[in-house]
Amino acid sequence: MPSAISSVHLGKTYPKARPGKFALDDLSLEIPTGRVYGLIGRNGAGKTTFVRIAATQLAATLGTVYVLGHDIRTEERAIRTRIACVPQESRPLYFLNVEEVIYLYLKLRGLDPQDSRRRTNDVLSELSLTSYRRVLVSRLSGGIRRRTMCAMVLASDADVLFLDEPTTGLDPIARREVWQAIRRASRENRTIVLTTHYLDEAEALSSRLALIESGRLKLEGTPEDLRARVRYPYRVTIQGSFPREELDSYGKVSEIEGGMLLFTREQEAHEVARRALERGLRISMGPVSLEDIFLDVVGRSIEEDSESSEKDEATEEASA
Amino acid sequence: MSERNRLRSVLTLVQLNGIIPIRTTPLYILNTIASPLSFLFFIFIVSRGSYLDYGITGGMVLTMMTVGTSLQSDLTHYRHDLKFQDVVVASPVEAPTYVTGMALSELVYSLPALAVFVALFVALGHPTVVNLAVISGVCVLVWAFASALAFTLATYFQDVRETFLFSPMISLVLTVLPPVYYPLSALPAWAQTAALISPTTYAAELVQGSCGLGAPLTLSSAAVDWGVLIAFTAALFLLAAVKARWKEP
Ligand SMILES: Nc1ncnc2c1ncn2[C@@H]1O[C@H](COP(=O)(O)OP(=O)(O)O)[C@@H](O)[C@H]1O
Ligand SMILES: [Mg+2]
Repeated sequence: MPSAISSVHLGKTYPKARPGKFALDDLSLEIPTGRVYGLIGRNGAGKTTFVRIAATQLAATLGTVYVLGHDIRTEERAIRTRIACVPQESRPLYFLNVEEVIYLYLKLRGLDPQDSRRRTNDVLSELSLTSYRRVLVSRLSGGIRRRTMCAMVLASDADVLFLDEPTTGLDPIARREVWQAIRRASRENRTIVLTTHYLDEAEALSSRLALIESGRLKLEGTPEDLRARVRYPYRVTIQGSFPREELDSYGKVSEIEGGMLLFTREQEAHEVARRALERGLRISMGPVSLEDIFLDVVGRSIEEDSESSEKDEATEEASA
Repeated sequence: MSERNRLRSVLTLVQLNGIIPIRTTPLYILNTIASPLSFLFFIFIVSRGSYLDYGITGGMVLTMMTVGTSLQSDLTHYRHDLKFQDVVVASPVEAPTYVTGMALSELVYSLPALAVFVALFVALGHPTVVNLAVISGVCVLVWAFASALAFTLATYFQDVRETFLFSPMISLVLTVLPPVYYPLSALPAWAQTAALISPTTYAAELVQGSCGLGAPLTLSSAAVDWGVLIAFTAALFLLAAVKARWKEP
């Protein structure tokens, strides 16, 4: 199946940014049709910049993006009829009630009143918003506002949905309701580009993921691919005391409340587990979570950055 | 988008930003009536009643200008604080549809003010088919260029506070300095020349001339006035088409 979105050597410098500072740097991605694609990375990594360029809200500096086969540089109109977006930090118009926000958005997109009404009712019950339908947005909690924004685009007829941190500020139950609606949307063969800081969410929803760091693609693939790409794909926690020197030879160790945390390879994980059990210690083990991968990859690049800046300082001192 | 869908989008925006907020907060309307009426009152007192007719016709023109002012702050606020423009950009709705709908929605707020001035004009002025047609035509053009300018500026502002800085300056240049509320001849010679750069001067001259206020309007000067007003409107439309940032650079 062809990609819904292909990013080709995409680069972006903001007009007012420091010269040479790329918010996105040679970013190439293929986002498959009919799936949820997760974009993760630290604050300022470039996720929003990517979403805004692909959603035709922001111009690219270098390279391009094809959305449903159309070039963002020349065919915006064709793209815009088939996309919908919940921008980061967007809020619904505060003088409308929840139902009006959704219904009027659908009519604004050109859907006829009956169809808009039906879609509104469906999404209200799907996201448990029915009891809020007549409540003014200005009286809602942040979480319900956010859910209303999600409901609005999920109810639309768009084929590609851009959701930039859609669940920030939602409680765990509300998040799962949004997840359900996102999953339903992807079952209807719609493509969803999702950015999130909740890595459990990225993992639970995404069929593929991209980890972006300083505008560059660090890792890309299915959650399993990502696991396979890290140095230590297994995590072992040991409750109680286990000689540190012995553990150090297996992988990356850190001390945690009441015991040790070890990142290692599968074979070693089993071996350590056996030894710990022989000592009568309690253990738990399993594949690393996305959060572990994130901390490993991003943590390493932070270390590298600080090492290289130390080197820079050293050379400056030497030349001075 | 088909023509039919465009019309639906425009009407939806009128409902969304005009009818619904007024229904929930009717006080908004006072805001748009207040400033033209206070100008009228001021002119009436200062001129001891002799400029009342100017005040009434000028009030209609000013009301159309305030549409632009409120449009500018609404559009900036929606774009910047609510990211509503981004929501609309990533949808089938095109920029001209968005601006038309939003500009019409602001007009809804001004209808009561306009009704007050029309009532005063009918009661105290000398309404004819000709002057009512001229007033309507001028009002439509002023509304159109004020809205185009408002949209263009609103896509540049980084902050709603910037609009509070700019709006008074724009209304100073476009409505207070030009002889909207008094005859051009009431201004000193230098100011008469300066006023010629403001399109509102031509709008006022047309409205006043058609109502028999001030110097009689010749056919050729009326043609010049219409020409300037239409050219200015076209120029601001062109500016909006070329310079407004629907998509951010
Ligand atoms: N309007 C802007 N002008 C200049 N720089 C910007 C602008 N928006 C974002 N940036 C910069 O671009 C980089 C990427 O930002 P962003 O895409 O918002 O990251 P993320 O969404 O991953 O947190 C950051 O360094 C940020 O400071
Ligand atoms: Mg972001």
